[in-house]
Amino acid sequence: MKRRTFLKTTVGGAAVLGFPLPLRAQAKTFKIGAIHPVTGALAEPGQACRLGAQMAVDAVNSAGGIKGKNGLKLELLLGDTQTKPENGRVEAERVVSQGAQMLLGSFDSGSTNAMVSVAQQRRVPFLIDIAAADPITANVAQSVKSGQQKVQYVYRNFPTGSSFGKRAVQYFIDIFKEANVSPKRVVLMYCNDLFGQNQARGFQAAHKAANPSWDIVEVIPWPEPPTDLSTEVSKAKAAKPDIIAPITRPASALLLFPEIRKQRVEMMGIVGPGSPGIYEAGQLAQLKEDLEYVLTSVPWANFKNPKTTIVADEFKKRSSGKTFDTNSGYSYDGMMLIANILERAKSTDPDAIVESIKKTNDPNGLMQYAGPIVFDEIGDNPNAVPTMIEILGQKPVAVWPKEAALQKFVFPRPKR
Amino acid sequence: MDPTLVGQGLLSGFLFGGVYSLMAVGLTLIFGVMRVVNFAHGDMMVWGMYLAWLLSVRAGVDPYVGFVVCAGALFVLGLIIQRGLVERIVDAPHEMQILLMLGVALVLENAALVAFGPDPARVRSPLSQGTLWIGPLFVDVARLLTFGLAMILTAALWLFLTRTDLGRSMRAAADNPYGARVIGTDVRRVYAAAFGVGAACVGAAGALVSALLPFQPASGLGLSVTSFNIVIIGGMGSLPGAFVGGILVSVAESMGAVFLSPSMKELVSFGLLIAILLFRPAGLFGRAAA
Amino acid sequence: MSLVKLLLLFAIAALAVLPWIVGSYLVTVMIFIFFYAYLGQAWNIVGGYAGQLSAGHAAFVGIGGYASALLSMRLGLTPWVGMWIGGVLAAALGAVIGYLGFRFGLRGFYFVLLTVAFAEICRVVALNVDAVGGALGLYITFTGNPRQFQFQDNRVYYYVALVLMLAATLLVRAIEQRRFGAYLTAIRQDESACEALGVDTLRVKMVAMILSSFLTGVGGTFYAFYLFSLQPNAVFGIPLSVEIVIRPIVGGAGTVMGPVLGSFILSPLAEIARTYFAQGGWTGAHLIVYGLLLIAVVLFLPQGAYPALRRLVRRSA
Repeated sequence: MKRRTFLKTTVGGAAVLGFPLPLRAQAKTFKIGAIHPVTGALAEPGQACRLGAQMAVDAVNSAGGIKGKNGLKLELLLGDTQTKPENGRVEAERVVSQGAQMLLGSFDSGSTNAMVSVAQQRRVPFLIDIAAADPITANVAQSVKSGQQKVQYVYRNFPTGSSFGKRAVQYFIDIFKEANVSPKRVVLMYCNDLFGQNQARGFQAAHKAANPSWDIVEVIPWPEPPTDLSTEVSKAKAAKPDIIAPITRPASALLLFPEIRKQRVEMMGIVGPGSPGIYEAGQLAQLKEDLEYVLTSVPWANFKNPKTTIVADEFKKRSSGKTFDTNSGYSYDGMMLIANILERAKSTDPDAIVESIKKTNDPNGLMQYAGPIVFDEIGDNPNAVPTMIEILGQKPVAVWPKEAALQKFVFPRPKR
Repeated sequence: MDPTLVGQGLLSGFLFGGVYSLMAVGLTLIFGVMRVVNFAHGDMMVWGMYLAWLLSVRAGVDPYVGFVVCAGALFVLGLIIQRGLVERIVDAPHEMQILLMLGVALVLENAALVAFGPDPARVRSPLSQGTLWIGPLFVDVARLLTFGLAMILTAALWLFLTRTDLGRSMRAAADNPYGARVIGTDVRRVYAAAFGVGAACVGAAGALVSALLPFQPASGLGLSVTSFNIVIIGGMGSLPGAFVGGILVSVAESMGAVFLSPSMKELVSFGLLIAILLFRPAGLFGRAAA
Repeated sequence: MSLVKLLLLFAIAALAVLPWIVGSYLVTVMIFIFFYAYLGQAWNIVGGYAGQLSAGHAAFVGIGGYASALLSMRLGLTPWVGMWIGGVLAAALGAVIGYLGFRFGLRGFYFVLLTVAFAEICRVVALNVDAVGGALGLYITFTGNPRQFQFQDNRVYYYVALVLMLAATLLVRAIEQRRFGAYLTAIRQDESACEALGVDTLRVKMVAMILSSFLTGVGGTFYAFYLFSLQPNAVFGIPLSVEIVIRPIVGGAGTVMGPVLGSFILSPLAEIARTYFAQGGWTGAHLIVYGLLLIAVVLFLPQGAYPALRRLVRRSA
């Protein structure tokens, strides 16, 4: 039933702003195409993204719109990729043909890259709110550098796969030092889909570069979604881990954590390089104590910022109980960033917007704690970094680095 | 290679084979009697799982008890599908059957998506948390239970087919539909019953498995493919084949996970499938005429 | 010139001018209609005419796409050449599957399962081998450079897709009118009788399979260089195989216009369903419609929409 109410809110938003109306008697608005996978395998995060973006638009409009442009209001044109790359392209085309002058999206790297071609072809600035594959922006930067494209229209405010890995390794090193322990054997277990594999590779590469005192002694991928992880956990156990580093999706998390407990794997703790499936309200409700003391490095809202709690509470209300996390957070921030960009842009021309994007120095991101939102030569935000959170008292809480921490971490985990 | 790991892999694989067998039994029955390949098999099972979930969440009924209800519900669904759809194309070429059941699969999967949403669900049962230890090897109680139930269900089905009138009529109709009609068997009724019973098995399997693994509407496809693998390897239409096939495929996958990379364990079962398709399409226990 | 031919020429002329009249969104929708009609037509050769139901044709799309993408990204080889190499590689896999299936006498359901098994193997391999991108997939840089089979203007893609569809349709028509086509149809209707008459059914089926997989592989390159991303699950997966197969089935397997008609029916349906249903929380509704349509076609129009349409036209004539 909760899901239905959650959808009713998005439907309400969609009905008001998304449906193409036959006659428009309202003032001119600045249309932004918000394209996410609201149906299909990634529907859950996709719907959270859409709501986050919607909330930001509502906030901007109720505060008077874009003040520097005579109170120009924002309007969302909603798109659904159905978690399929080809729909990324089609939906982008559709919203652009309905007047979208900017694009926001699209969570899944495959459809995001499909949208890139539309952004470049039609000169529509595209802000990626969530998608980690490094090549998406790097390729565009490369083609502009080599002269094949004139202007880069694609920018990303989200950590890239490689930055995830580097940060995760750093946090591992920091936490071990702070806790005064020296684990030696880390077993990396991951879901073998786009996200999991990308994270794992990033983590392994960063580990090799940093060469710390701990080793990744075993790497165990599984097909996602799995029907059975008993052999995988047995394999992990046989490698005598000090730490298990899991990268899961919600489905595999439901199998992995109980299995680790059932097989009585003795270790210092579970510290993940970053994955969903661990902190969502639904997962916590299903897995309960199995998630206690699990650490994971994920993009997380900065709750030290007082505004964050206000927005998080509103999100909880409008989504019937969901947590304001990575997905809703970055989409919210992405839309607020668009408002900021428009505020500073000389006009609503695509190239003027791009100029404004490049000059961005925005300290208002709710997901940021490491510095303002800026864009580098590739088009990414180097200050978009993950936070190490821990499940304590069956709630996810930021524990590292100190600038973002609300509580001290508990590691090694207490003996059962 | 750590012998404990190999041993554990064998044990886990063997026990999980019971789960696989349970999945395959309904499929093989339908094919054995009617020569219909139920492409909606996995999606029907997912509905069984969701029904068990509903019972557990709304009525507090444990799936190990509630599976009877799921079996009943799916029996009815099976009858409807058979009478309404399959019956009309029983004489049509194979392609039509395949496409019809594919259509049913699409409808079932997406109806589940609309009804339950895309998130993975899992049924909690107190029984699914227990473990037994034999030295360094551990036994998952839930899987052991499911293994036992798989054996009982297969045995019960075997008795049904060999000892009851309806069961014998089914086997007769399977062997020789024309001959069965000649001696007065209402073949239509028999086929409907067969599809219903097969569907009931699938429903029961779904319910019993719902506490073991997370499922979503999209899980149907994977379950269908796995079940087809098992049934082909074991032999279409053979109950012992489904049982042995399930164990064989599960152990092979488990060994694949132990010795190769677990993410490639599907390659093992597909390789096995191709080998059987080429060299013994009737499967291990099936009859040679395909 | 007969009325039908005149109508067809008029239709083609209308399609040729369309991109200059409608917006880019509709052009994109049409591109996908043409593209899936092309893939369906390629499948039609072996699945429709020869009656060998393959549910693994996505594998050929994947191989063709990956091959030309990798050749372009790693060796700088232009996809204009890469597409043919991709097609040949896909045809090679098609030959293997065909040989194993036909030589070992796999029919009906067993052949379907063989094709699915191979497609799944390709998918798992692509997912796990880092050298071809692994689960991350391949990301092609957008340059808009025609030498790299990329175009700044959507309309050029439109014409490429249109040409592909027309070429495939003409090819299938040519096959239908020749002895080869007659063999295919005869094999579908009664393979044993054909063998009894001395037809080398293995050879005929192999040619059909190789031709079908070659064309599908070439299509893979279009996919890669239109969407700029190749994901193992999207491009080798069963859902794509279903999309390929459903259009000829609904439109009329074993007919020339079947895949085209099927595509013109199904793609707009999917678009409308996604645009209007998804926002109402009816996630997946368009697939329910697909399923119902499939059931309806099997029960009431087993030969597809096109033959039914033809009968209707003839009756009223």
